[in-house]
Amino acid sequence: MDPILSVRAATKAYGALTALRGADLTVARGEVHAVCGDNGAGKSTLIKLISGVETPTSGEITVKGRPVSFATPHDALEAGIATIHQDLGLAPRMTIAENIFMGSELVTRRLGLPLLDHRRMKEMAKGYLGRLNSRLTDMDQPVERLSGGQRQAVAISRALRWDAEIIIMDEPTAALGVRETAQVLELIGSLRAVGVTVILISHDMNDVVRIADTVTILSGGRTARVLRAGDTDAQGLANLIMHAGSLAEPA
Amino acid sequence: MVEFTERKPSARWKFRPSAGLFHRMSAFLTLLLLIAAFSFGNAAFLSVNNGLTILLQTSVIGLLGIGMTMVIITGGIDLSVGSVLALSGTVTGMAVKAGLPVLPAMAVGVLVGAACGLFNGFVITKMRITPFVATLGMMLIARGLALQLTGAAPISQLGEAFGVLGNGALFRMVEMGANGFPKVIFPGIPYPVILLAVVALAAAYLLRRRQTGRHIYATGSNEEAARLSGVRVHRTKIIAYTLSGALAGLAGNVLMSRLITAQPSEGVMYELDAIAAAVIGGASLMGGVGNVSGTMIGAFIIGVLRNGLNMAGTSAFIQQIVIGFVVIGAVYVDQIRNRR
Repeated sequence: MDPILSVRAATKAYGALTALRGADLTVARGEVHAVCGDNGAGKSTLIKLISGVETPTSGEITVKGRPVSFATPHDALEAGIATIHQDLGLAPRMTIAENIFMGSELVTRRLGLPLLDHRRMKEMAKGYLGRLNSRLTDMDQPVERLSGGQRQAVAISRALRWDAEIIIMDEPTAALGVRETAQVLELIGSLRAVGVTVILISHDMNDVVRIADTVTILSGGRTARVLRAGDTDAQGLANLIMHAGSLAEPA
Repeated sequence: MVEFTERKPSARWKFRPSAGLFHRMSAFLTLLLLIAAFSFGNAAFLSVNNGLTILLQTSVIGLLGIGMTMVIITGGIDLSVGSVLALSGTVTGMAVKAGLPVLPAMAVGVLVGAACGLFNGFVITKMRITPFVATLGMMLIARGLALQLTGAAPISQLGEAFGVLGNGALFRMVEMGANGFPKVIFPGIPYPVILLAVVALAAAYLLRRRQTGRHIYATGSNEEAARLSGVRVHRTKIIAYTLSGALAGLAGNVLMSRLITAQPSEGVMYELDAIAAAVIGGASLMGGVGNVSGTMIGAFIIGVLRNGLNMAGTSAFIQQIVIGFVVIGAVYVDQIRNRR
């Protein structure tokens, strides 16, 4: 099957500093694909290229077989790629429904006057959260009252609202406790169940082994290894990342 | 590793008013208590006539406060409204003097206010100057323009029609008395009060039921997230500042019409009353929080305090001191509630 997203020989230089020196990434439709690597390996830079925050110095990105070039995150979104940053990008004092429909509110007309369609937005918000098996029912709750896992569900629902086919999650469990981490991994599983492709950036090898299908290991700005997550365990993966440098550059 | 304390959604209360609603309820209670206290002290306070006076006096601060609320919700501040009010009022006066009929002249004044707001919006979004500094600049520019255009002299003899907006009333009933003198049965609802009600309803509709309103809240709540979600943050801010300027222009017309004189030195420090009204009504200077009904309550708290203290013979200086404490108290109460 054709990959839904592929990055070929991507490089990115910031002046004299080269962050990526020819990274490859091939993501199959509907999988959970983890991108791992030590600090400075180029994970964030690679993700910035895919999410439209930065443009590559050279290299090619294709989505569903078509070459793309993103100037802004909005371009990436148009191509079906949504990014959920670690801070989630939620407005804490606004409600669940307001956050999910932020920037893409539904409008109806009554007596010729345009009005926000609160009722339909709440219904649809419930629908998105339902697809993630979330038990949140009160769409009028402000997001600041929610737990970390529930907030993650709201952020993912907003990506679904944007019809994202690929959702990039940047360190989704970094600040969470044990139970909430489990909730977030469940959310990622729910996304896979509804056919959404997930690209997961994580430092936590246990999370990666538990939820990912495929792992791409970066080192020194290059792709060092691509493997099935089932072929290794957390310790093995950690060893691979630590020794990836010698694999990538057999100098 | 960041320590993460889990917040369980509490199920203790069935009825949990939102932070905003709670604040408005306590502010409204304060308003009722003030009215009760002043009525107890002076029976004349609770008369229809005095009620209308308070409404009339509050209308200018109310109009400014509504614009200020929209700006504060975006996370900004507009220090220029007092000066813009003066500039708009004097421009209207000059237009009337130049021979323009009153209504078109007032429209010109409002447009001048809107233009000042538009300029604020551009300076803040395109030149990336903080709202405090940008509107501080406009505060000086607009005041200077008003004084320069008029040579600092008030424009008087503007004709009877100019005074109708500020002094006229709807449903005013006058009966000729037996002694030949007219007797006022009902003083009528002053036009400024009707104007304030219409503007308040329109602003509430904009903020609660329109996409633009939602974007104003989103911009103030989390600007970066709003921008990434496709909210046109710059456009939203420019709209808020332009509306604030236009409402300052409208307030200027009301005020100058009431005085039947265009005064370039009017409205000094009015921006502070407008900010106080919004803040007493629950708006947060951090952005993302505030609403029109709260600001209306805040404006009336200030209006009732001024009027009541006046009737009790308290000096204007003491009034300032009292209102200062009220502003601090209102925000303090809100913080205590949020800390829980």
